[in-house]
Amino acid sequence: MDAVNIAELSGNIAVVGYGLAAIGPGIGVGLVVSKTIESIARQPELAGKLQVTMWLGIAFTEALALIGLATPFIFV
Amino acid sequence: MASSSTQVFAKALKLSALLVVSVAVICSIIGYLVVGVDGLWTALIGSAIALVFTSLTVLSVLFGARLPLGGFYGLVLGGWLLKIVLFALLMAALQRMDFIHGPTLFFAIVLSVLGSLSIDSWVVLRSRIPTIDSRD
Repeated sequence: MDAVNIAELSGNIAVVGYGLAAIGPGIGVGLVVSKTIESIARQPELAGKLQVTMWLGIAFTEALALIGLATPFIFV
Repeated sequence: MASSSTQVFAKALKLSALLVVSVAVICSIIGYLVVGVDGLWTALIGSAIALVFTSLTVLSVLFGARLPLGGFYGLVLGGWLLKIVLFALLMAALQRMDFIHGPTLFFAIVLSVLGSLSIDSWVVLRSRIPTIDSRD
């Protein structure tokens, strides 16, 4: 690195895409699970119903992660 | 484990598998016509990956529900984390393979994942889970 170029970056910008594909679903799953835990703590007898709903929530956020991680096959 | 939710998961697994197999057939025919034998293999690999990764979520919830609450979340979230890491590594490995046709793989995965999501939603909406369920 020369003296003028003080903020040189090297690497592939697609890696940032991988990171973004992980952040969104990570927050999503965190919210789904935290709310389910809260609901089960309030009403333990509803656990079965809440777990099924939680699974659907996780399936949706997970789809976003899978699609995000597969995008290099069409964008690169 | 509540028996009614077990039935929901079993039904979702079965119907998702059927749907992904039909998506695999359609995508492999299109892949074969557009790219050739490579397209056929790519579509089959894409659908198989989607089937395995979406089924793992159902299986983790199904088996996790038999554990105490801490074990349930450990299995579901640990499984989720492991699955995403494996998927990222698998995608990186597949990109280095010469016979993989990128767009065919992407659309096979996306169609299978979206199809199995629709099946999951449909099964949950149609299911009759009692508000208070007996746990055995």
